[in-house]
Amino acid sequence: MVLEKDIPKFVEWVGPAFFSYLLGLAVFAVVVGGVAWLVQTVLYGPMAAGDRVYHGAVGLVGDLGRVSWRRVTAMTRLAVKESLRKNVLVALGLFAVVLLFAGWFLDPSSVNPGRLYLGFILTSTNLLVCLVVLVLAAFSLPADIKAKAIQTVTTKPVRTIEIVLGRFLGFSAIGTASLLVMGLAGWAFVVRSVAHEHLLTQEDLEDVAAADGSLAGYRGRTSFRQGHRHWVELGPEGSGRTDVAQGHRHAVRARESADGKRVFEVGPPEGLLEARRPLRGRLTFRDRDGSPSAKGISVGAEWGYRQYIEGSTLAAAIWTFEGIDERDFPDGLPLEMIIRVFRTHKGDIEKGIGGSVRVRNPRTQVETAPFYFTAKEFTIDSIMIPRQVAVTSPEGGTRQVDLFDELVDRKSEAVGPADAGGGGKGRIEVVLQCLVPAQYFGVAQADFYLLAGNGSFALNYLKSCLGIWFSMLLVAAIGVTFSTFLSGPVAVLATLSVLLVGQVREFLSRWYESLVTGDATIVPGGGPIESLYRIITQVSITLELEETPAVLAMKAVDTLLVSPMRLLAAVFPSLGSLGTGEFVASGFDIPLDLIAEHSLETLGYVLPCIVLGAVFLKAREVAS
Amino acid sequence: MRVSDRGGAPELETEGLLVNPGTEKNLVAAANAAGSSSEIVVETRNLSKVYRDFWGRSKKVALKPLDLQIRRGEIFGLLGPNGSGKTTTLKLLLGLIFPSTGEAVVFGRDATEVSKNERIGYLPEESYLYKFLDAEETLDFYGRLFDMPPEERRRRATALIEMVGLTRDRKRQLKEYSKGMTRRIGVAQALINDPELILLDEPTSGLDPIGTREMKDLILDLKARGKTVIMSSHLLADVEDVCDRIAVLHQGELKELGRVEDLLRVTDTTQVRARGLPPAALEELREVCRKFGGTEIEVGNPTITLEDLFLEVVRDADARPGRRASQPRS
Repeated sequence: MVLEKDIPKFVEWVGPAFFSYLLGLAVFAVVVGGVAWLVQTVLYGPMAAGDRVYHGAVGLVGDLGRVSWRRVTAMTRLAVKESLRKNVLVALGLFAVVLLFAGWFLDPSSVNPGRLYLGFILTSTNLLVCLVVLVLAAFSLPADIKAKAIQTVTTKPVRTIEIVLGRFLGFSAIGTASLLVMGLAGWAFVVRSVAHEHLLTQEDLEDVAAADGSLAGYRGRTSFRQGHRHWVELGPEGSGRTDVAQGHRHAVRARESADGKRVFEVGPPEGLLEARRPLRGRLTFRDRDGSPSAKGISVGAEWGYRQYIEGSTLAAAIWTFEGIDERDFPDGLPLEMIIRVFRTHKGDIEKGIGGSVRVRNPRTQVETAPFYFTAKEFTIDSIMIPRQVAVTSPEGGTRQVDLFDELVDRKSEAVGPADAGGGGKGRIEVVLQCLVPAQYFGVAQADFYLLAGNGSFALNYLKSCLGIWFSMLLVAAIGVTFSTFLSGPVAVLATLSVLLVGQVREFLSRWYESLVTGDATIVPGGGPIESLYRIITQVSITLELEETPAVLAMKAVDTLLVSPMRLLAAVFPSLGSLGTGEFVASGFDIPLDLIAEHSLETLGYVLPCIVLGAVFLKAREVAS
Repeated sequence: MRVSDRGGAPELETEGLLVNPGTEKNLVAAANAAGSSSEIVVETRNLSKVYRDFWGRSKKVALKPLDLQIRRGEIFGLLGPNGSGKTTTLKLLLGLIFPSTGEAVVFGRDATEVSKNERIGYLPEESYLYKFLDAEETLDFYGRLFDMPPEERRRRATALIEMVGLTRDRKRQLKEYSKGMTRRIGVAQALINDPELILLDEPTSGLDPIGTREMKDLILDLKARGKTVIMSSHLLADVEDVCDRIAVLHQGELKELGRVEDLLRVTDTTQVRARGLPPAALEELREVCRKFGGTEIEVGNPTITLEDLFLEVVRDADARPGRRASQPRS
């Protein structure tokens, strides 16, 4: 799973975020006030305009204090009834059709069917719910204004904030109900789709003899189901586990049947619908000479998320994990990793690229003997570092030690004081190397973690639906706001435009970083003017432009544009950043910190949208 | 002098009080008895409206500067042809549109203030209601907008649905209603808050004669209960029947303003009406009138019809733009 930025702790995030938010809000309010004054000045002159803007602002504050929840509820109920009686439930029918036909197009024999099904369901749910709410929100108020029904509402003691808030709540209620139905149906679809059983009989197995000729166990393959089968290795008593295929494995158990035969029971798939709780570390690199390096090797990929280490050299990727507590890992350290392989030659394509992992004490540099593995692309590799491990000290020599006694650093200053619970939390380093010459491992910080536990998949799915819910609220708020002064179709387009700009928010931030740091690899190709020039002249983004006066002027304009563009983009919400479907699809638990941050972020957009909508509606002559 | 004789049953009027029994006449009597106070409920000062295009250029002058005062308990009629500014005036009073100059004050507050709406009922020209609601839901919805508690909403909704005769159709969605039924539920929503001031835009528009009669009865009933009514119409008979005062607008300009009977009175002509006299007695009555005063005889000023006045005002306005036609008629 791609995680480009660390997820900050909510308590650390909320303070600075709130301050930035207030600052942005103040700037936005000043801009809106200024624009309103300019428009009024054209119509009534500067003094009258100032008076109107002032009284409008005061009136708005007064309105906020006089909101009647009974009136808001009336508007909410109206929106709900309108939606229901205008056959919004058709969307649920559409979703049912999507589910009915999804089985035709989704390949159950894909590398990770759990991810495929979950990704599909969550994406289609998100799309449908947001689309339904957008259409409802954008078309409702303009339709009222066109049909003049709004005149019988605004001639009652209803404040515009109550109209906008009521509409928003109504459409959100419809969206929430749709999401609940779609979420439940989607859940059932995914669980039923990935569930499968394999058959294993005595005939499928062959005996495995020990060195002394005695029976060591059994080896064989399960039946073929859902496009795959598993190898199994069982003990002499007939129990064990299958290998990992399509991102899952099965437990196998033997029992005696009524007629005295041995029957093998293959359990349900394990690892398909998971909610892993990873403990992530900090990533540093060593170059091919073993010297510390800020980055790995770029293999030419434009996206610099993953850095590469060269095989059969001293190049290494080193993760430092903190907060390692013996109580959390009583059986050892379960390492999980997602490794990309970049081959400079084909090699033995069936064999895979080998690598090693060593665990090291960052203070004493004592490290374990290497744990070898073969990289499996696109699936999660796992290695269990046991409690008792063989270590080599820098001075040489090998001995068996307890992992937490020798390899976890609990003493250095970087660790800080031991916690009150006793035992203390410590630091540990994990060193990854590629062992095949002229081949490369691609890694990112988030790709390597300690499995600190597993959460409930059902709860994780619910949390993901919460992410869709946030997106839906945002769409409803923006749609309603635009509908206060635009016609329905234009309001839909405007909402989509805002969301589109929000999607490039991250890109603009990276471009800003690229410009500030002077690192053209962050965003190659320059700013908008330079990009346009490159498109017209068909110059690749990886080529440096010759520094002619024209190019310098172009870059100067881009530099001038970057700050206002970044600020402007920062105002727009990013639906992509609110989505947490990738966590669920990839089998990772969605951190509560992230949910809390997303909820505040959503609220931070929704509230100003509603106030802005109320301002627009108040300033509008609904009967002209 | 003019003697009116309606099918052999001449009508006797004394000082404007209808003697002939009947519902309408009783209502008029009650309404007039209620009278109007000196408290000004609605006032416009130099109120005008100019519609502009996107660039701020003047597109249409909908209302030229208008000064009006409407007192509590009055039935005030805004009269004028299509496009004369009647509805614009109502919209300005309701705060649905904003004045270009001047101000509209309702219950002492600016017309754009929402709080004034608590005491106002409004029936638009068409009943702009939510067609997907039924009658009960409609009234419950508007009751909620007045922050009414549930019990009061139910009570008022039931009473109003009964009053407008929609009890049997209260569960039908408004999209299934006829125009007359829609109009009636429109009236009910305008009265849901028992308003002190009711603004009716073309209240009899689209109604059949019975519906029109009922609407006029309702307006008179409202006056009898001390309500102030402002109605706009181009149906002259309706205005004449119910309004105390009228303002005649033409091309956005106030052309005539005053009490209906004053405006319609012809001052240099005397009218004598009598009830129950045989035709042969008329000549003798004239002789008697010339020489003696008699009982049960009303002698007063005859009136022209409102329609005559209206057409005259419009013709006069067309012939001499800018002149206000307020001179006494002779």
